Amino acid sequence: MIFSSIPILMVDVAGSVAMVVIALLSLYKATRLREMDPDNAVSLYLLWICVGFTIFAVSRSFGHILKQFLIVTANTETWHSISSYSGSVNTVSFMLVGLITLFFNQNWKINEKILAGRKKLEDTHIKLMDLNQTLEQKVVERTELLTSSEHKCRRIFEQSLDTIMVTDSEFKVMEINPAGIVLTGYSREEMIMKKMTAGSFFADHFEWERISNLIDSKEYILNEEIEFLKPGNETLLVLITGGVDYGAFGCAKSYHFIIKNVNEKRQMERQIAQADKLAALGELSAGVAHEINNPLGIILGYTQLLLKEESKHKDDLKIIEKHVQTCKTVVSDLLSFSRKGSSEMGIVDINKVVDGVIKFLSNHSDFRNIEMSLNPHTGDMLNILGNEQELAQVIINLVINACHAVEGKGKIDIATQKTKQDKILIMVKDNGKGIEKKNLSKIFDPFFTTKPVGQGTGLGLSVGYGIIKRHQGDIRVKSSEGKGTIFTISLPADNSII
Amino acid sequence: MAVALLILLPMDVFAIQLHASSEGIITHQMGHLFFLFSMVALIFTVTGKGLDRQKGWRLIQYSAFFFILWNLASTTAHFFDNQIHAVKIENISFGKIKIITSNDSSVLAWFYYVLKLDHLLCVPAMVLLYKGLSTLVAEQKTSLTKQDTP
Repeated sequence: MIFSSIPILMVDVAGSVAMVVIALLSLYKATRLREMDPDNAVSLYLLWICVGFTIFAVSRSFGHILKQFLIVTANTETWHSISSYSGSVNTVSFMLVGLITLFFNQNWKINEKILAGRKKLEDTHIKLMDLNQTLEQKVVERTELLTSSEHKCRRIFEQSLDTIMVTDSEFKVMEINPAGIVLTGYSREEMIMKKMTAGSFFADHFEWERISNLIDSKEYILNEEIEFLKPGNETLLVLITGGVDYGAFGCAKSYHFIIKNVNEKRQMERQIAQADKLAALGELSAGVAHEINNPLGIILGYTQLLLKEESKHKDDLKIIEKHVQTCKTVVSDLLSFSRKGSSEMGIVDINKVVDGVIKFLSNHSDFRNIEMSLNPHTGDMLNILGNEQELAQVIINLVINACHAVEGKGKIDIATQKTKQDKILIMVKDNGKGIEKKNLSKIFDPFFTTKPVGQGTGLGLSVGYGIIKRHQGDIRVKSSEGKGTIFTISLPADNSII
Repeated sequence: MAVALLILLPMDVFAIQLHASSEGIITHQMGHLFFLFSMVALIFTVTGKGLDRQKGWRLIQYSAFFFILWNLASTTAHFFDNQIHAVKIENISFGKIKIITSNDSSVLAWFYYVLKLDHLLCVPAMVLLYKGLSTLVAEQKTSLTKQDTP
């Protein structure tokens, strides 16, 4: 049968061209797909398929166009000679496409594995991010807590009124707070530069040995009462508590101490004890004095009556009278100490009293070789409400005691002062032999004296103490053996007359 | 002794097998069938993976179907002209061809004539492949845009 070859020719040529164009466009699209999702194995697979189809389309179209061209140009024989090659290339190209296509399932499995792996990786990444964020948050929170804690500790260390001290394993000072600097009297630099040890502050070296041995054996010490020695040889009582820190996080062993100044507290306790003792003695003395006073009065009365008559025992009676008078004086002093006596109170100018005492005593033969000086408070009047004679008696007693302390040759300073707390101070200072430490707590006791028998009754200071207490005042003593003593009377100022 | 005979008295052994001329067309036909089979496999694989829910993959399935038809058409045409030589074409003049069938069957001649218009199957197959890929690209673009949008 005869057919028109034009439709075949047209479809063949146009189809071949279209195949090539569409194959190239498909290749472009596959490339785009691959670019958008480079990690997707399926897009890679589609790219391979498109490459295969492009090879197939190009080889086939080239063969077909060439075939039509050769047939149209009456070169059919030529076409027959090359058709085998064109057909073979064509066969290979669509077998290639077939092969690639058959790998789709395998490729899909690989892709699924990749996607599952990626999903796991993303999940893990999210978890890690969460953990990291939580960790960062925790680090921030912990850092804030640590900073706050450090700040609190630092504030406690800096603001504490008790001494906080850290030493190394050899007790050398590493850290000390401002209260410690005030307590010890040494600067921080001095302590650290001179490598001072905790033992440097102890007044007694043997006491330090005991404490350091105790802390090494027990690993702590608790409220040990120790005497510290300050740079100016001033001593003070402290309570010391300490412990060993064996160190953590690579820190070396160290010792921590908390030191409390109990000097004033102990002094106060001693004074209270002294006051209690003197009050008890006062009560006792008052009772005894009252009971003795009446018989003494009768003895003195009858003795004086007998003396008025002529008697061969006149000399004996005078001796009796003299000793009864002495006893009366003692009883009177006892009554004065125990506040049983009466005294009239009025406005007293202390400077005037002190001045009168010095004028009175400076004429006394015992004070010839003594250099007496007065440093009165200038400015406002030093008025108090009290009994002038009693106060003068107290000051006289103190000055006479000072005279005995310097043993007739030395220096006595008397000074008056007014404090901001409206207290008037009278200070009697001598450079005599001082009072032994063991006697300091007894000097205000009635009948306590260090003078030889017959030279003192031991009632001077105790009477003075009673008088000052009756004036709502206080009397204190500070003494260093071989250096001297200072008595300080403190009385409340009276500001009613200015 | 045998070794000595082989060495001293060599003979032709015809080790290289000779191939008949029909091997080429059979190989080509097998290629077509292989291509056809791979397209069938692709259609079922796409369905099996549930990818046919996506328009792009459905278009690729349609493309594979057209390639199957094209392979069938090509295989049939090659069967008639190259394998059993039931059909032969002669150029009579420009624009005129004569299809000679072995039993002068006009039905076979017309059938063969239609089969020769095989581009009407493979070009739509390629177009569908292109459309499928374009749709996949567009879907991917939309997916990426959604991911970028906070």
